[in-house]
Amino acid sequence: MITVFIEPDNETLHFERLKTVLLLQQRLGLRVNDALVIRGDMLLTPDCRLQDGDEIRIRKVISTG
Amino acid sequence: MKCRKCKAPAEIDLPSHNTACCRACFAEYFTGQVDKAIRHHGLINPGERVLVALSGGKDSLSLMLELSRQGYDVTGLHVDLGIPVSSAAARAKVENFCTARGLKLKVVELIKEGLPIPDVKQYIHRPICSACGKIKRHWFNRVALTDGFQVLATGHNLDDEVARLFANTLRWDAGYLSDQGPCLAAESGFARKIKPLYRLTEFETACYAFLNGIEIHTAPCPYSSGATFTGHKKLWSDLEYTSPGTKIAFYDGFLKRGRPAFAQVDKDQGRAVAPCTTCASPTSTGVCGVCRLKIAVTERRAADPDRQTDPDRQ
Repeated sequence: MITVFIEPDNETLHFERLKTVLLLQQRLGLRVNDALVIRGDMLLTPDCRLQDGDEIRIRKVISTG
Repeated sequence: MKCRKCKAPAEIDLPSHNTACCRACFAEYFTGQVDKAIRHHGLINPGERVLVALSGGKDSLSLMLELSRQGYDVTGLHVDLGIPVSSAAARAKVENFCTARGLKLKVVELIKEGLPIPDVKQYIHRPICSACGKIKRHWFNRVALTDGFQVLATGHNLDDEVARLFANTLRWDAGYLSDQGPCLAAESGFARKIKPLYRLTEFETACYAFLNGIEIHTAPCPYSSGATFTGHKKLWSDLEYTSPGTKIAFYDGFLKRGRPAFAQVDKDQGRAVAPCTTCASPTSTGVCGVCRLKIAVTERRAADPDRQTDPDRQ
């Protein structure tokens, strides 16, 4: 199970069987540079592998004023 | 994925540049892009004092930090809009950021100036984002001039600039197209306005803010739902995805080949500017737009029976 917290929406989602960051982005409808993908204090690139138990923060970057 | 420069594990993928960076090389890249913008367009001269407009978002706080690290004499300016909950949160982020890093900060409170944004929204029948932007720009310029700053810096990034250029182009607005760019020279009561982040995308400034531990105000403005620029940014995100590098090519091409032509048109047709008869800010209409807003809000607030019977809302 991978837990994903989405900012600034303050929404928490749970996924199973997601192997990579790219698949997570695709599942969320995000392009590569639409959001930061954060695990701990590290940024993840699309090829990074996700593991069961990961807690990921998605920080969308488009400012809305 | 590895850093293209040093081969360490990459943290930032930048398809627009066909590259990827580790955090150390990304810091060099970011600094280089800001330095290139400043040198190429003569944004800041040695010894000049720079006023940096701080909203509390990733762009303005990243700009403030980067300029201070590059040795510029920077002071932040935050305009507290007086919007319940939202403005206090944004102001706290700005104040904490400056305090933690020993950076100078000035704050203008629109409630004290008699023009809080909720009142503008209630009493003025025009798009609130337009009025709010006008009021903020008015105070940025006014503080820059009255407090002796030669330069006013804003955190507009490449996505902001491309979205604005796109909107101006859709309307073929020659006035705005004549002077959009990373540097607007000082003239007729206006401080020089600069945009040192214009070569960097929102993604890149967001990465910089995260990697430097900047706590940012992320909640969207409660009044900005459906803002036109947000829609334009999404269109450009699609274009950039299918054709990486399109944004910077569009913007650089405009600076080199489009703006000079529009500047000539504006030079022929531009209107004369004189000090506002109320506040002395530059205007082409006698009384400036912000003073006219303030007069209208004050009159309508005074005539509003709800405001006269509810002292908490005064």
